[in-house]
Amino acid sequence: MNGPVRSLAAAAVALLAFPTLSSAETVKIGGAFSITGNAAAYGAQQKHGVQAAIEDVNKSGKLKGITLELVLEDDGTSKEQGIAVYQRFINKDKVSAIIGPTLSNTASAADPIAQQGKTPVVAVSNTAPKGITDIGDYIWRVSLTEAQVIPSALAIAKAKMGFKTAAVLYGNDDVFTKAGFDVMKAALEAQGVKIVDIQTFATKDRDFNAQLTALKSKNPEFLMVSALVEQAAAIVSQARQLGWNVPIMGGNGFNSPKLIANAGPAADGVLVGTAWNKASTDPVNLAFIAGQKARNNDPDQFCAQAYTGVLVIADAIAQAGMKGGRDDIKAGFEKVKDLSTPLGKFSFLPNRDGNHAAAMQIVKDGKFQILQ
Amino acid sequence: MSLESLQDIWLTYQSTVAFIGLNGLLALSVYTTLSCGQLSLAQAGFMAIGAYASTILTFHTGLPFAVNLAVATLLPALVAIPLGLPVLRLKGVFLAIATIGFGEVVRLFFVNLDFTNGALGLTAVPQRTSMWMIYAALGAALFVLWRIRGSRTGHALEAIREDEPAARTMGIDAARYKLAMLALGASFAGLAGALEAHYTYMVSPSTYSFSRVVDMLVYAVVGGTGVFYGPVVGATFLTALPEVLREVSSRIGLAPGPVRLFVNGLVLLLVILFLPEGISSLPRRVRGALQARRRARAS
Repeated sequence: MNGPVRSLAAAAVALLAFPTLSSAETVKIGGAFSITGNAAAYGAQQKHGVQAAIEDVNKSGKLKGITLELVLEDDGTSKEQGIAVYQRFINKDKVSAIIGPTLSNTASAADPIAQQGKTPVVAVSNTAPKGITDIGDYIWRVSLTEAQVIPSALAIAKAKMGFKTAAVLYGNDDVFTKAGFDVMKAALEAQGVKIVDIQTFATKDRDFNAQLTALKSKNPEFLMVSALVEQAAAIVSQARQLGWNVPIMGGNGFNSPKLIANAGPAADGVLVGTAWNKASTDPVNLAFIAGQKARNNDPDQFCAQAYTGVLVIADAIAQAGMKGGRDDIKAGFEKVKDLSTPLGKFSFLPNRDGNHAAAMQIVKDGKFQILQ
Repeated sequence: MSLESLQDIWLTYQSTVAFIGLNGLLALSVYTTLSCGQLSLAQAGFMAIGAYASTILTFHTGLPFAVNLAVATLLPALVAIPLGLPVLRLKGVFLAIATIGFGEVVRLFFVNLDFTNGALGLTAVPQRTSMWMIYAALGAALFVLWRIRGSRTGHALEAIREDEPAARTMGIDAARYKLAMLALGASFAGLAGALEAHYTYMVSPSTYSFSRVVDMLVYAVVGGTGVFYGPVVGATFLTALPEVLREVSSRIGLAPGPVRLFVNGLVLLLVILFLPEGISSLPRRVRGALQARRRARAS
């Protein structure tokens, strides 16, 4: 090898070894969502939310000199793939933070990998009360648990309607409906509403007449239902067919346009608590909705929460003094306070769960509207 | 390639390697009953028993992990024997339906068991499974099946698979052999369940649903049930394929989404159409084709 070639080669090696001396630093964020599989409907909304948020943050110039880059992967709604995606993000893509995964079940299996790999995670849709942020100090959560949404939504409804007695119907063989029931029962008791009867059903049930008739005979003024979206529409329509017109409030399973599509006019007047007040006229929320309209997406709560997840990470980078390392972001999370997001003013609680105001929706004219 | 990047590659794919071993063990558990012509779909139930038993022991006793694994291996076999006595009198689809029923009963039992958090299951299970344990278990299962093949028992099983009444007239105690294979399959499934629970940090009833046992059956059928290692080949192929396609789609800049699932399904369809005896029959088929060609050239 002669002189010039050797020095050229040395220069090339030097360039390869130190590629990031320029001021434009890129911080990679991994998004692990269920783009296929059972939870694909949620994953699609989350994808739109995260992509829009990354674009908006980069355009805003809030992170001087730092560009966020999204690495999106599909967890296929399975634990196995969720773990594989996390290991890929941490060891191959070398992301600074992870957003996801869509389901709490996947999170229980995958988040410990991030905890071990000292990579911060922001959960944007896991609502299981236990077993998410308990995993460790790298796991943070934006999504409110049902234990946070239901009591404040119930208080709004109670102030509005003034009921004193209630009945509860719930599915006792599913993770979410069972957990939702525990929260409903506690919330009703705490707010001085008398529970006159409790009935249960199984996930595969399609006929709820027996339970509804039993509940109706006790004459409660209010009905709370913890069910998945598949049963929610059937329960609502069968109750109305029995000529029972009490206000019905559902858990998170009711929080889907499918409820209205399947139950039709029977869904009118159904109440659902929500983490996202879409009627909020806060400029951040209006900009978020306009951005989603431009992407041809009708945003829902999952989209707003995913969008917020990115805003929280961006704020953490800013709080850490424009540093995008894994531990910088984790340290930054602790300083996120009253951040303006589509969900309202957002802060973390000491146990790393998210905290912001919840809202109550009512179905009116075939649409979810905010109960003011 | 530097040592560091090799280590990163290993860290990136270690869970896939682990799941290949676990799924291989599960595929073998379906194979044991298939090897004597019985289609038992109770394996997810046995897996749940092993997973829950070992996790409860981990949480409530200070026993060494080896003892937990031994319990997880033996308990499902003990459950399989009283189950098998009446159920193995059934044949074909009737047996399949009865064993699906058993699997669902086990799942619903754990859904309603408050002691293990019902449908939520147990989370934050300490990770006690190491890679070598998974492959030692798989190796042991393969060794057992390899020793059975060609032995007196192996011939008896083949006879039962081909024609059970004829096997019985030859003096083979078909009921006992079928029961033994059900128990053996149950212990493979239980061991895999315990190893998986302590690898994925959690157990929940939804993991052991009917679709799980369908996955196991697909591993066995795609790999081929003609030879004892066929199911492991199938499990390896089907567990690695989604991750291989993930790597490929990220290289060619394809956005993650249903395309990967579509290609996954397409490959599966092609294998079943063109290799009806499973992937493990591929070398033999290639050899056969080469011989036919040589013969054609010679003549």
